[in-house]
Amino acid sequence: MKADVQTAVIVPTPPAGHGNETYSALVWRRLKRSWTGMAGLVLVCMLMLITIFAEFFSPVDPKLTGVAFAPPQTISITDQEGNLVWPRTYQVGEGTELDPITFQPIVGPDYANPLDLGFFVKGFQYRFLGLIPTDRHFFGATNGTPVNLLGTDKFGRDVLSRIFHGSRVSLMIALTVVFIVTVVGTTVGMVSGYFGGRFDTWMQRFVELVLAFPQLPLYLALTSLIPVTAPTNVFLAFVIFVMSALGWAQMSREVRGKTLALARIDYVRAAMAIGATDRRIIFQHIFPNVMSHVIVSVTLAIPSVVLLESFLGFLGFAVKPPLMSWGLMLQDTSTYSVIGSYPWILSPVAFVLITVFAFNALGDGLRDAVDPY
Amino acid sequence: MALVDITTLAPEQRHDHAAAIGEPIIDARHVAVKFKVESGLVDAVKDVSFQLYRGETIAVVGESGSGKSVTARTVMGLLTKRATVSDQSSIQYDGKNVLKFSDRQRRALRGNRISMIFQEPMSSLNPVYTIGAQIIEAIRVHQRMSRAEARERTLELLRQVQIPDPESRINQYPHQLSGGQRQRIMIAMALANSPDVLIADEPTTALDVTVQAQILNLIRDLQKTLGMAVILITHDLTVVRQFSDYVYVMQNGEVKEHNTTLALFENPQHPYTRHLLNSEPKGRANPMPMDSAAILEGRDVRVSFMLKAGGFFKPQLKELVAVDSLSIKLHRHETLGLVGESGSGKTTFGQALVKLMRADGGEILFDGQPIQDKTREEMRPLRSRMQVVFQDPFSSLNPRMSVGQIIEEGLVVNKLGATRNERLERVREALNSAGLPNNILSRFPHEFSGGQRQRIAIARAVALEPEFILLDEPTSALDLSVQAQIIELLRKLQDEKGLSYLFISHDLKVVRALCHRVVVMQHGKIVEEGPVEDVLTHPKTAYTERLVRAAFEVAA
Repeated sequence: MKADVQTAVIVPTPPAGHGNETYSALVWRRLKRSWTGMAGLVLVCMLMLITIFAEFFSPVDPKLTGVAFAPPQTISITDQEGNLVWPRTYQVGEGTELDPITFQPIVGPDYANPLDLGFFVKGFQYRFLGLIPTDRHFFGATNGTPVNLLGTDKFGRDVLSRIFHGSRVSLMIALTVVFIVTVVGTTVGMVSGYFGGRFDTWMQRFVELVLAFPQLPLYLALTSLIPVTAPTNVFLAFVIFVMSALGWAQMSREVRGKTLALARIDYVRAAMAIGATDRRIIFQHIFPNVMSHVIVSVTLAIPSVVLLESFLGFLGFAVKPPLMSWGLMLQDTSTYSVIGSYPWILSPVAFVLITVFAFNALGDGLRDAVDPY
Repeated sequence: MALVDITTLAPEQRHDHAAAIGEPIIDARHVAVKFKVESGLVDAVKDVSFQLYRGETIAVVGESGSGKSVTARTVMGLLTKRATVSDQSSIQYDGKNVLKFSDRQRRALRGNRISMIFQEPMSSLNPVYTIGAQIIEAIRVHQRMSRAEARERTLELLRQVQIPDPESRINQYPHQLSGGQRQRIMIAMALANSPDVLIADEPTTALDVTVQAQILNLIRDLQKTLGMAVILITHDLTVVRQFSDYVYVMQNGEVKEHNTTLALFENPQHPYTRHLLNSEPKGRANPMPMDSAAILEGRDVRVSFMLKAGGFFKPQLKELVAVDSLSIKLHRHETLGLVGESGSGKTTFGQALVKLMRADGGEILFDGQPIQDKTREEMRPLRSRMQVVFQDPFSSLNPRMSVGQIIEEGLVVNKLGATRNERLERVREALNSAGLPNNILSRFPHEFSGGQRQRIAIARAVALEPEFILLDEPTSALDLSVQAQIIELLRKLQDEKGLSYLFISHDLKVVRALCHRVVVMQHGKIVEEGPVEDVLTHPKTAYTERLVRAAFEVAA
């Protein structure tokens, strides 16, 4: 009979290909099945590359001024006579004629001087990754003349290059805020949910207080507290602090709920039965199981911070020049006549949209992938 | 109208001479269902044929994963979108192939000519409607009837399923009824349009043992009076034996054997059927050594919960006494059964005894040492000596930890074993003694079946070399044949390691196979206790007698 017991247990051999795989491999396999999730992942990776290597991808020095409100230059593969040529563009220059209504100089392509485009061309000097001095750029005019594919702003600075550089501040704010929110929110949520009792009761009332705050007026009030003369990095740190201080509460709520459910589950009680300490239960049993939820929350929280930054920037409360950010660029669009005449300065909106879509799509894909069991 | 009593026909006659005994009401041939999953297609049902004649009860028996529920859902047309029914399948109802039906034709059939009751009566009733409204709707979907007439019919149905005081019950919500009553409501709803066929998918699995018999008797009586045909899907052989005329045994999506109930139980042909019939828990606990010392003792242990009563303006606390001053004594090498229906407080009592739950009063002695006032910190040195195995092996193993980590954790926490290798050696030993191969350390729980997971949970407990293990319904979430193996394993471990068990269960069959003594609980009180044979053969109280009858006879 004892022999029976032994042989009765046939442990399944893992199916070839994907048996015995780690958690991350399982998540990856399931994420790959989601079309939108993968699209989001690719876009997020591209955004990150552009952000990290902003100088390399920018065709023009973002601080270089030129013709104000120059329209986007088009790329043509034919010359004026219609012959097929190497992709070229024409620099926009101010002519001598004036517009009969606005009396502004008419700007238009300078057909006399075509600029040949190319990849890995020489341009303005910068330090690659802040270390290696170089002047190579991903693309641009072969002779190093500025190319404004998305036009220029009111000071004649290249919009595309400013968007690439601005993504740095916008995404840096988003990532830092989300990082702080996640660390604080997860810790508070897990501690509050696991220990419960009086601490939990008071903590939750405090969380409700934070959640109930009218956030927008508070942002405006707090950011105007800081003197205009303060250095830019202090201002930036302050913006991040305010956004984090108001953002952690939601995350802690979610994590607390999840922890409450997990603390009652049998494997946590089994851990208590073997004499595990609270610390061990939190880190070994609750934290890994809360993590999946947190990862998804993070990817969904990033776009909301990007949106908030662009909104506050538009109102002039987030970042001050000379820093560049998407919100700050959109501040120029606040007058009707400007949007009407120079619609291309709205192009940061497209990048905000892409960022929000990319992170949301990735978050949705992850949500389905992280709980494979 | 049947000239021949079909229930007495042998399989070959039954299937080949259908003409002589009338057409079957449902004739399913070569049903095969595939499910789309991540790694491709899975055959849930490979080749199932069965016939159901008017007025008979057929039972479809099999363990979990055998495809019995999928077969029933195919008949009802209730499969999910991921499922595809193969082309050669045919299910004839009244001479028409229901698999070729349009959605509209199916709806006309479902709940009308063929109806179904499910395992979990709580989740199959809508909590926001009164039971009356739900039955009336079921009637009016299929029949032209005024609201008042439908109400009359509903009252009649409630009387038929023996709901006491139907006039007031009709306006109640599902949560106001007990589990057994809810299942009666489900049956009433299924009968609302006098169906030809009733499919009962594990109708009593979620109910207390004593209620089980009542529900099954009710189905049988209704079948007799209404002349329905019943398909009873179950894993419980006692139920099959008493309530079905004809049995189909399923395994891995195929019918392995079918015969009249009598013949099948007398003379099983297929090895799987024999295996299934043999897996009823049997044997007895091995005799324990005389005059062994007490390991765990509870004296007047009391556990109560404070429930919120009264409204916001008049807050009140109501005390619910879950365990009412109970005393219990467990000796070394002994298995003590703690038996009762759900809500009797047996799990609470067990957890209070190992200090996983706070006791309000009384004394708990472990190995002569009072532990009732010890904090968690002070309990830690004792934890490795007392262990727990939980009921549900799916929630008791952390899905993010490997088998090795799960079992090793107790050793790490209690600082047993000096080096990692030493600990892993003990983990391997524990796996071996739980009847598992020792090369599964890096695998994760989700790769294992329920029985294997329960073995892992047992290995986790055994690895600490405890003296006492609290077994909280360790077998009730498992299939019958797996259950028998786990009982065998627990008995073996007790002999080898001299363990003492406190075994919490509602299943007296398992208790008889494993325990030396038994304590019967009801509403937080002990109603009876004594040696297992005495209590089971000569129960002193009516409650125990009911439990015994429910376990061994079901319908008696």
